[in-house]
Amino acid sequence: MTQPIDDLTGLATPYALHAMPEAERAEIDRRLAAVPPEVARAFDDEVRAVRETMAVISAATAVEPPYELRDRVLAEIAAINAGPVVPMQRKPRPWRATLLAAAAAVVIGLGALGVGLALRPAPTVSTAEQIFAAPDVRTISGDIPTGGTATVVFSREKNAGVLVMNNVAPPETGTVYQMWLINDEGPHSAGTMDAQAVAPSTTAVLPNLDGSSTLAFTIEPTGGSLMPTTEPFAALPLT
Amino acid sequence: MTLIAPVDRLRLVTRDLDELLRQVARQDVDAFAEFYDQTRARVYGLVTRVLRDPGYSEETTQDIYLQVWRTADAYNPAAGSPMSWLMTLAHRRAVDRVRSEQAASQRESRYGVVNVEPPSDHVAESVILTDERRQVADCLGSLTDTQREAIQLAYYDGLTYVQVSERLSANLATIKSRMRDGIRGLRRCLGLS
Repeated sequence: MTQPIDDLTGLATPYALHAMPEAERAEIDRRLAAVPPEVARAFDDEVRAVRETMAVISAATAVEPPYELRDRVLAEIAAINAGPVVPMQRKPRPWRATLLAAAAAVVIGLGALGVGLALRPAPTVSTAEQIFAAPDVRTISGDIPTGGTATVVFSREKNAGVLVMNNVAPPETGTVYQMWLINDEGPHSAGTMDAQAVAPSTTAVLPNLDGSSTLAFTIEPTGGSLMPTTEPFAALPLT
Repeated sequence: MTLIAPVDRLRLVTRDLDELLRQVARQDVDAFAEFYDQTRARVYGLVTRVLRDPGYSEETTQDIYLQVWRTADAYNPAAGSPMSWLMTLAHRRAVDRVRSEQAASQRESRYGVVNVEPPSDHVAESVILTDERRQVADCLGSLTDTQREAIQLAYYDGLTYVQVSERLSANLATIKSRMRDGIRGLRRCLGLS
């Protein structure tokens, strides 16, 4: 018969290296709650030692990420913070006021020009915050062939996503970019962006994913179309 | 004595990261940007190493920093260094992604045999000092082949210890002790224990 405690200690290294299935990990967590404190402490010490070691070892695999990633990461953070939902325990800080002003400017820009079918600008952050906090949050990014990047952060559970466009060239006069969520039934408009709406960093909420597998972008006449009239110039798989 | 300088330098960085992380917990965007800049090469490098796909790696790196932003207030200095907190979070995300993609076999056929050394022309010389890298590489080189292989398959390829034992046709107890002894060897070599 195996000694349960010896067995547990022997698993500290694979546990710390994430080298076990989720179910086994959870089982170990349960067992740790039931063993004598000194056993749990020895296990924790081993786990901590492994993690500190691997933190140092990470120097061996360091690679510079593409520079655009920095913009995308910071745009995501700005999208989270641009909203009216300010956590109660935190004091508003000067930068937050700036971001709110920027977000307000986006609303005015869109409102005045009457653009956006289902497109909602950044201030619906309660949705954005819910997406970012969802356990199944996923991020998909792609380069727009004409320059810039599009990133969708989405959650199937929340049935919504946030689109962040960085450094995308504005559409030509008389045209808009139209977003389409494509599911088994075909494309459904997810809103339009005209030249004014396309800022260096543009954020929009996609409220109803409804089983869509792709987000596609087409060029359409001002005001948008009911169905795409041109071939998509970019598409992101929502998987 | 050649081991001491790089480790000292890491501790200095760590103290700064500690403070930055506290500021990030208070939702300080500038501190977050600084934290990103100080850690991005380690995070992206590890993620790339595990996922072996630039697109997935960028997405996963974004998810990791989003999680840093959301959970920095849960960081407990008593439980470990900020770098260890971050790299643990990063590794967990990368491994989860690999397992969810169920792409282990494809990755191997696409990329061939894995190797501890990343391409040197992509190395972040400005962020990770050359001698620190060399020291870590030397320490990895000081392990026995079987120890290194077990750690590599588990940590960089995202295999579970049971899968590692199947892959290497060794029993579970052997694999667990190779992993444990390998990590202990690294700790000693790096001057951490």
